[in-house]
Amino acid sequence: MAEIRKFKSGRAGEPSSEPTPRRLAAIVAGDISGYSRLMQIDEEGTHTRVKRIERDLIEPSIVEHHGKLVKTTGDGFIAIFDSPVEAVRCSIVIQQNVVGRNASLPKHHWIEYRIGVNLGDVIIETDDVYGDGVNIATRLEGIARPGEVYISGGIYEQIKHKLVCGYESLGDRKVKNITDPVRVYRVLPDPSALHQNRKRRERILALLLGLALLIIAGGTLWQMLWQPRKSANQASAPVSSPVEAPKVPAPALTSPPPLPKPAPTIAPIQQQAAPQPEPSPASKQAAPLPPSASPVTPAGQPTTQAAASIREPEIVSLRGGSFAMGSNEDASEKPVRQVTVKPFAMGKFPVSVQEWNACAAAKACGFTATGKDDAPITNISWNDAKQYVAWLAETTRKPYRLPSEAEWEYAARGGTQTRYWWGDQFQAGMVNCRNCSDIPASDQPVKVGSLKPNPFGLFDMGGGVDQWVEDCWHKTYQGGPADGSAWVENECPSRVIRSGSWRKDSGYARASSRGSYDTNVRYPTHGFRIALSP
Amino acid sequence: MKFMQWTVLAAALTCLPFAALAQGKPAHKDALLYFVWPQNGAVIKGGFWCRFGLRNMGVTHAGDNYANSGHHHLLVDVNEPLNPKEPIPQDKSHLHFGAGQTEARIELPPGKHTLQLVLGDAEHYPFNPPVVSQKITITVR
Repeated sequence: MAEIRKFKSGRAGEPSSEPTPRRLAAIVAGDISGYSRLMQIDEEGTHTRVKRIERDLIEPSIVEHHGKLVKTTGDGFIAIFDSPVEAVRCSIVIQQNVVGRNASLPKHHWIEYRIGVNLGDVIIETDDVYGDGVNIATRLEGIARPGEVYISGGIYEQIKHKLVCGYESLGDRKVKNITDPVRVYRVLPDPSALHQNRKRRERILALLLGLALLIIAGGTLWQMLWQPRKSANQASAPVSSPVEAPKVPAPALTSPPPLPKPAPTIAPIQQQAAPQPEPSPASKQAAPLPPSASPVTPAGQPTTQAAASIREPEIVSLRGGSFAMGSNEDASEKPVRQVTVKPFAMGKFPVSVQEWNACAAAKACGFTATGKDDAPITNISWNDAKQYVAWLAETTRKPYRLPSEAEWEYAARGGTQTRYWWGDQFQAGMVNCRNCSDIPASDQPVKVGSLKPNPFGLFDMGGGVDQWVEDCWHKTYQGGPADGSAWVENECPSRVIRSGSWRKDSGYARASSRGSYDTNVRYPTHGFRIALSP
Repeated sequence: MKFMQWTVLAAALTCLPFAALAQGKPAHKDALLYFVWPQNGAVIKGGFWCRFGLRNMGVTHAGDNYANSGHHHLLVDVNEPLNPKEPIPQDKSHLHFGAGQTEARIELPPGKHTLQLVLGDAEHYPFNPPVVSQKITITVR
């Protein structure tokens, strides 16, 4: 920290004091792709997030790499560096850290920068920088794909042997309002990405070669040792070679690949939550590596347990995290407070009739339900739900349980802070609720998973069936735990239900909406979903 | 108000012979559901205990299918008519007392509110004819 401050005071004062109208500089231009779209989704939120990224990431990174932030625009920034190497390093640091920040958000909320770097002779003033060197940097940024860094030929010539990155030549590009075409390179933060395949091939080849040599050597040895005896077992000759194999090829192999080493030099970075530099930034986009709690593992694909052959409900592993629980819309949802949820897994759907009936068939659940197999189970009291999870936990020997209320809301929000997971405005057709979609009201809610999943990949988190959670009912959150655990007392007459139902209005389908019901009473719209401790 | 209630009840009673198709269980002919407290027109400060009265029928746990018995539901500021073919809704304005409660602590925001009791059968359907109380209006300060 002290060091950063020193840089700041040292550098910031210098350029303004010396009157240098022109100078050669590496110009970094960055902007957020889809900024207006983000602003449309969530104006205030986006603004705060962008400001935070600028304050916490962009400014310090520039300072750390001995650069100077010239200006920030609404959605972008321009910085100048004395050193092209530092300029590109800084750009990579920013890109990789932004990835980490997005990790906790659904894809359509991602803030992704496009960055262009150019070397040029520019005119520098206190709060702006001019010249076509700047324009080219901006154009490069304009053609860069979100999350990527594009550099000009001039920068490339300066850094190609100094900065260990992969560089993909995109050829000469004609850019708007610039007469001469510009040579463009795409920076691949991980050099191994480009050569990985080749390296692997080389390594396999080396291994095969080593093995072949070994076999020959082994064969010769065998011949030499055993020929005098004229053993009949000549056929077994090759068998001896694998035994010796580990010794010989080992040194042979270690010499060729000193290759993985250079990687760390790319950037001595604070790679916070940033995932390992991936093969290429392009593939980052393709594989939405979503929220800090993400549907990465649909872990419990209908597994058949060898022991009991039970079809376990599908679950989605959630990474957990901190979120603002509650809202100011109803007295029961106040006060809004920050709650941290540990990693856990949540049922992908509410428990279905079929899943429930497996428990009923085992005589562990109170009644056999009628209705379609894939409809959510209904007319469930909290006690019923507890019986089911107890049975499931016992037969599978996994810690199945009901979710806590905090876990439920965390999962329902899917990383968002809006009323519904898709935004603040209600949208028809997103949930199965009363007077709010084209789905005709009926005795049965629509089958599980027939509507869109939320950003965590969970279905029917809102509407459908009311869902029991572990918590006792408390009229407000005053005094509730902030660690994501269930808020319970020994004996509580009523427990919390979440989600609203197909017979309740859209307001009940909000992520933060909560209700209560007597613990041991069944009601035709009440169901539940399961949770699993890691 | 009161007159309306009675006409509705009377109308419901005349329909009794034709009601074989309806969902609800038959109610006792002299069943009477009423508020012990508060009374119609009461002015109340803050939260209060609402007490439910029922004559000629019994209160049981929801799900218990005994003849001539049911459980209470309190409708707060509900204006839509009750659909006798559907379970009594369960939400913030339809409070359920399926554990057989005969009183409840109620907290309402300041202002005028209407309260009405409805008796539900084991499956939360209204009886046939519906056993409902007079709809009372109270003022919370």
